[in-house]
Amino acid sequence: MKTILLFAALLLATPSLFAQSAAYKEAMTAALETMKTQSQKTPLPEMLATANQFERIAQAEAKEWLPRYYAGLLYVYAGFMGKDAAEKDRYLDQADRFLKEAEGISPKNDELSVLKAYIAQARMVVDPMNRWQTYGPAFEEAIGEAKALNPANPRPYVLHGSSLYHTPEQFGGGLSAACPLLTQASEKFATFKPASELHPNWGQKNIEPLLGKCAK
Amino acid sequence: MQRLLLLLLLGQAAYAQTTVSGRVTDSRGRALPGANVFLKGTYDGANADSTGIFRFRTTRRDTSTLVVTFVGYEPHTRKLTLTPPETVVSVRLEEVASELNTVVITAGAFEASDERKMTMLKPLDIVTTAGAQADITAAMNLLPGAQRVGEQEGLFVRGGSGLETKVVIDGMIVQNPFFSSLPDVQQRGRFQPFMFKGTSFSTGGYSAQYGQALSSVLLLNTVDKTNNNGLSLSLNLASAALSYDHAGEKASVSGSLYYGNLRPLFALVRQNVVWTREPEFTGSSLTYRLRPTRNGLLKFYGMYSGSHLGMVFRDPSAESNRTEIDQRNGNAFATSTYTDSWDEGRWLLSTGLSYSRNTDDMTFSGQDVGRFDERTQGRLVLTRLLPGNHSLLFGAEMHQLKLESAVGGTRYALRETYGASFVESDIYLSRKLAGRLGVRAEYSSLLGRLNLAPRLSLAYKTGAFSQVSLAAGRFYQTPDYRYLYRNTALNYEKADHLILNFQVIKNGRTFRIESFYKEYNQLVREFTARPGEEAGFDANPYRFPWGRTDNSGFGYAKGFDLFWRDQKTVKGLDYWVTYSFVDTRRLFSQYLEPATPTFASKHNLSVIGKRFFTKIQTSMGLTYTFTSGRPYYNPNHDRFLADRTPAVHNLSFSASHLTRLGGNLLVLYASVDNLLNTRNVFTYRFAPDAEGRPGKIRYAVGPQSYRSFFVGGMIMLSKKAKLNTNDL
Repeated sequence: MKTILLFAALLLATPSLFAQSAAYKEAMTAALETMKTQSQKTPLPEMLATANQFERIAQAEAKEWLPRYYAGLLYVYAGFMGKDAAEKDRYLDQADRFLKEAEGISPKNDELSVLKAYIAQARMVVDPMNRWQTYGPAFEEAIGEAKALNPANPRPYVLHGSSLYHTPEQFGGGLSAACPLLTQASEKFATFKPASELHPNWGQKNIEPLLGKCAK
Repeated sequence: MQRLLLLLLLGQAAYAQTTVSGRVTDSRGRALPGANVFLKGTYDGANADSTGIFRFRTTRRDTSTLVVTFVGYEPHTRKLTLTPPETVVSVRLEEVASELNTVVITAGAFEASDERKMTMLKPLDIVTTAGAQADITAAMNLLPGAQRVGEQEGLFVRGGSGLETKVVIDGMIVQNPFFSSLPDVQQRGRFQPFMFKGTSFSTGGYSAQYGQALSSVLLLNTVDKTNNNGLSLSLNLASAALSYDHAGEKASVSGSLYYGNLRPLFALVRQNVVWTREPEFTGSSLTYRLRPTRNGLLKFYGMYSGSHLGMVFRDPSAESNRTEIDQRNGNAFATSTYTDSWDEGRWLLSTGLSYSRNTDDMTFSGQDVGRFDERTQGRLVLTRLLPGNHSLLFGAEMHQLKLESAVGGTRYALRETYGASFVESDIYLSRKLAGRLGVRAEYSSLLGRLNLAPRLSLAYKTGAFSQVSLAAGRFYQTPDYRYLYRNTALNYEKADHLILNFQVIKNGRTFRIESFYKEYNQLVREFTARPGEEAGFDANPYRFPWGRTDNSGFGYAKGFDLFWRDQKTVKGLDYWVTYSFVDTRRLFSQYLEPATPTFASKHNLSVIGKRFFTKIQTSMGLTYTFTSGRPYYNPNHDRFLADRTPAVHNLSFSASHLTRLGGNLLVLYASVDNLLNTRNVFTYRFAPDAEGRPGKIRYAVGPQSYRSFFVGGMIMLSKKAKLNTNDL
């Protein structure tokens, strides 16, 4: 009886603990499922609704960097989609906020360096003529950081390669500069295993159309 | 037992669910679709729908904390008592203070910055403006409020003389911002435009943080880290330069070396000046930046430059009309600043120390007219940011100056200790109305006097994209040291400013109008009439004041200026127009009666257009400037300074092409100044004729050359680019 009572007491004391990690996994899986169905064609409000989902998970889970990472990533997408410079910058400010929080939880994280690079790239795209001097080096620095932290991660190569692909040849970009990086990315995808189902595993689809052009 | 367990489990399941619902709006009651509503620490929450309505269920009981977030709005938190079955709650969010919805104090300042988005110009605009030859001050001369003078360096702002503008780098006054002055030849600024991340050109009513400038201050802020990495070489018709940048994790260093000689350029471009020795110059600079702590930044900048030249100057008083000048200049400037912040940016510290030394070994027809000056200064400013955007700033600065000049065999020397302290506060009464209140106290040991200068600015947001601002203030300046050599009993010169400004920045278009009234008092006057003689005026710009002086001068300047920039109407084309109108009169220096000064022109117009042609990777720009006639002294005319020169027109073109050479970025540029070959005249002077009768021969002072051109290129041998290739 005593043991049973103890067990019952434990059961009463722990449900929040059990429930939370189960709830975390469930909530993350649900949000990731929604995110997977979204693309550049998704209306902005839907994308932001998904970012909200991650934000809710983040505020309930003070020690998890992943929900913050995904919320930040969605705000980067929003940063590309906003209608004017001010709106884009507002989303990117938000992305920066999530990045900072995530970095506080998990410093020296290659995926967060990728996110940092992505934010820099989005900032630059808002006004390339006036911003390349600031955000070009910031982008490269973050990419370098990600590559150094985890050489097996294909995502820094995805970002770097596609960024060069869209850079005019006069500035050191173009197909010939981009293709070696894109090829490297695709090689790394072949062996890359995310740490869990919840960990980042995007990028392959982004580079497939570009790789097609490299083959020619 | 089983019953007990069941009971326990049932007990949990039987927790009542509560529906939380409501609507999220902004402060004006408009729906905020997409707002994120949730209970703190739980997964329970929802997004507001297109009408701002939200609804979700929670198993929480009693009290909980409701949080509502939305991009661009302040997060809202409130305690909520959950009462099943439904708790209804409405939430109003306040917009986050941003550049778009908060008024900015702007009267009197014209900013070019990358950091603030709502500025009218970007630092790059300054470098790429045609007709400015990548010279910062030349580019500032195209801004509203500035007056183009042509035959002397300096920034002439709203009827003010060149001496009334101070150049400030990272808070420190620059003693010799221009290459050493020569009679009737305009000199470039000493500093490279790429050194600066931001520029603020104040046309009046500036902050209590700065002083000793009756008209204006030009604030330059150096970059915090190098943009390049590796070696770059540049070569043009006048000079060759080498620079190296290296950026590490915490520290970065940049160094440059240059050598210039204008002989090849002058061989190609006809000169209006007789050079006995074409200008030759060398220079070097070193910049070091270190981040010792997370927010701390230490910067050191040191430079040395030297030049040697010889020319013939037409001196109106010399009967031969030919004075040979030889000048050797040595100039050193070192400045170091440290900035830091604590308590999440609520405390900001900014300190600096700088030293400058300038020697001009000069001879006029073989006579020594050398100059020497030295300035040491220190500065400390502490800013406290308070809730609600308010801030309080206080600081102090101290300068030690040593000045020497040789004139006609006599040596003059001065030593000055100048100290100032200041307090300034920004007060936001609302997001629409803000004020800045400041006061500055200055003491000069040379004058033995203290002054107190109050400053005030107000700004009110009249619409989502427009605002009006008002600025007023009192400004003091120690008189020109050349007067002080002979008379240290002089007082400060004084100016009072009143400025009203209106601006609209919307959708790639900017309109700004600013009107001003400036009153001068206590200006130094010089009385050159000898007893029994009629007072005369000496038009020699290089004269040394020898007469009796006092502070009885006065004057005014009033007018308005306009700025219009449009980056929208024609796709790819970016153009702006500036116009300044000035009405000014003053009695000062050796003026015989109140008159419009010789450096003031009533109308100044500039039209600047730029376009980047993507296909050929080339940027092209055209600049047209118009300056109306300026007064000049005609000894044959009864009325003092009643004559006007013809207007000055200039159309210039510049192009720069970006390309790659062996994997390195190469920039080629070319420019043509005064495309139409207009024979511009800046002023006229009168000289004695062959019989020695004064004022019989008139000669024109114009630009150094009429139509001229310039070509050059720069290549960046970037270390980074090489690393990338190795990476592959």
